[in-house]
Amino acid sequence: MNKLRLRSLLAFLFAFALIAAACGSDSDTASDDGGSSDDSSSSDDDGSSDDSSGDDGAASGLEGTLRVLIHQNPPGVEFFESFNDDFEAANPGVNVEMAVVKADDIPTVNQTRLNANDIDVTTISVTGFDKAVQPYMSDVDTPFWQQLIEAGLLMDLSDQPYVQNYDEAAIADGSFDGGVYSLGLGRTIYSGVFVNLDLLADVGIDVPTTWDELVSACDAVTDAGFKCMIAGGQDGWPVFVGTYGLLGALYPDQAGMVEGLWTGDLKWNDERGLELFDRYATYADMLDAESAGLTGDSAGPRFAAGDVAFGPMGAWMAGPIDDAASFEWTYIPFPGADDAADNQTFFGKYDMSLAVAAETPVADIAHAYLAAFSDPATYNDFANATNYLPTQPTAELSNTLGAATAPILQQGNFAIGQEQLYVNPKGAGQWAIGREAALWLYNGDFGDPVEAANQVQADLESGLAG
Amino acid sequence: MAATQQRNLFGGGRQLIYPWLLLLPGLGFYLLIGVGPSLATAIYSFTDATGIRNIPISWVGFDNYDEFLFQGARSRDNLDALQRTLIFMVLVTVIQFGIGLVMALLVNQKLRGRLVFRTLFFVPFILGVAVQGLMWKLFLRPGGGPMDDLFGLLGMESQFLAGTNAFYWVIVVQIWANAGFTMVIFLAGMQTIPTDLFEAAAVDGASGWQLFKNVTWPQLTPAVNTNFLLNIIGSLQAWMLFLVLTGYKKGVQVLGYVVYAEAFGQTGTATFRQGYAAAASIVLFILVLVLGMAANAFVTRRERKYL
Repeated sequence: MNKLRLRSLLAFLFAFALIAAACGSDSDTASDDGGSSDDSSSSDDDGSSDDSSGDDGAASGLEGTLRVLIHQNPPGVEFFESFNDDFEAANPGVNVEMAVVKADDIPTVNQTRLNANDIDVTTISVTGFDKAVQPYMSDVDTPFWQQLIEAGLLMDLSDQPYVQNYDEAAIADGSFDGGVYSLGLGRTIYSGVFVNLDLLADVGIDVPTTWDELVSACDAVTDAGFKCMIAGGQDGWPVFVGTYGLLGALYPDQAGMVEGLWTGDLKWNDERGLELFDRYATYADMLDAESAGLTGDSAGPRFAAGDVAFGPMGAWMAGPIDDAASFEWTYIPFPGADDAADNQTFFGKYDMSLAVAAETPVADIAHAYLAAFSDPATYNDFANATNYLPTQPTAELSNTLGAATAPILQQGNFAIGQEQLYVNPKGAGQWAIGREAALWLYNGDFGDPVEAANQVQADLESGLAG
Repeated sequence: MAATQQRNLFGGGRQLIYPWLLLLPGLGFYLLIGVGPSLATAIYSFTDATGIRNIPISWVGFDNYDEFLFQGARSRDNLDALQRTLIFMVLVTVIQFGIGLVMALLVNQKLRGRLVFRTLFFVPFILGVAVQGLMWKLFLRPGGGPMDDLFGLLGMESQFLAGTNAFYWVIVVQIWANAGFTMVIFLAGMQTIPTDLFEAAAVDGASGWQLFKNVTWPQLTPAVNTNFLLNIIGSLQAWMLFLVLTGYKKGVQVLGYVVYAEAFGQTGTATFRQGYAAAASIVLFILVLVLGMAANAFVTRRERKYL
């Protein structure tokens, strides 16, 4: 009987050991289906392959699986799916496994998958290399992209010929400490307003070019029985994005504004700050109540229904609007300043930025993939599919958004906005990020713009004092 | 006698080691996936860990706790989150407990269709947070959602999850999602009560309320205590519904969500602060521990009184 018990015990322990072994064998499995090309494949120290094909997109002879991560952006996803098919067709030995995650989850997924060396080409950011720590800032954490570079998890692409297909500003945005770590695939504008030209014509008013004209136009539109403005407010974003134009109109030097807030030369509740908050309150009043129920994605199609005059939204909404609208529209800088000449700049950010994992076992395929994508003709198609402002000098938008924005962009009037430049001091309160205040006034978190401005400044100073 | 039986089960002498060997796998798992990460979290809370490999980790002492609890307006926001966590716990525990009890009493009656109602009441619990969140997001959509239409008929308006009362709407969803589970535990308890107790009390002329007060309630003590503890601990740890329904919204998040957001760069600062998040989670752990122990002491006293 005792022997029987002993055998049972041993059998149990054996079974347990088998289970434990199975649990621990993940790396081998991952290597089989993810790592693909043999690990002996000819990668040298910087991750490049002996087979340096791919510079021109012709990557024949490559074998393996390339794991790609991009963010949820319907036209972008559609383009990448098609591009991946073409890439696989041109490289029969290559299998592209693409994962798509929400933009908000990009930092988290990058952290986990780069830590596990489970990704080869990744969307490292949807806001470029932003929130960089400036010399005048103290006691702040470095942004995640810098953490990943300093951890040695991203590959330096400086020597890759395809990098030179992009313009200097885009390369500079993806650079850190002398290396190039990401390809900025496009810029996007978040400070503009879609304008329903047919509706304005029906009401008998011109496209507003100043703040007063905008307020008057709104009154005229609502008097005529239409809605003035809508934006996506259900998720707390991007309803306030339109006001980044207001912010830019009153603070054209956005980098200087950030420095001023940090050094105390500017305050959210000084004269100009209070003017800004007053206009935020007016903006909140101009937004139709329906905005609270609209998600960021649904606001564009809703604007396209035709009964709304203005859509303060990011330029990324141009595609859905163009697809659904049966009226003439344009996209203008938010007319937030009193002088029309001061409303001639678009503010925005770098959007999708691709990077290569430093320890990818398929560096040759990753470079071939990026080289093929960076081919000017392919890239031009991508920019037009996604409505990104091109970061390759040879590409141009040949659609309605391109026509609407060209007069301003050709003068070089695009600037990185405050959202990308501002770093919150440690200890600052939740209201310190004043650029979002229009939302709080819209939601009713604050009833009075002066009260909101004072709270924002107090929360900021609380962090600066720490 | 019991000791003799225990000895006989595994024999004597060296064979006494068998039960300990049998315990080893379970104990190993518990140490590995239970105690280990908890201890690691406590240690990480004294560091500047980012969660990114290759980045050196430095010992920062109590800096994370100091920042979380005392530094600037941020500590005010954290304490507000702590307060909201407690409010959430109290409201969810009390209301969910009450609704679950009433539902259990109703479906424990010999009524037609009671099995259907038992299923209907329990279904929300098994849907999962993502589905629960999606359903309620659609249901509470301002500008045309069903609840908005209902409010409109009553001459009321609300921005629901987009407005300042979003916190209370999440409480509604949390209760809706979990009341069925509370009901099932109560129902199981009710079905263990001997029917002759009710029959005897009825013969003595007890009213419905007296039956509940003097028979059902005392006999439900184990179920009451279980629900009480589960509701308290569950509501203190709940944060995923906030993630799905409101995102990282100012004036809404509870402590569990703060931990997640700080750890994974979701606060808008785009940095990974897992050391700081670990400190926040230790604060949450202490809160759960203190309240859990207090609740446990309360239910233990209650058990002594009724059982």
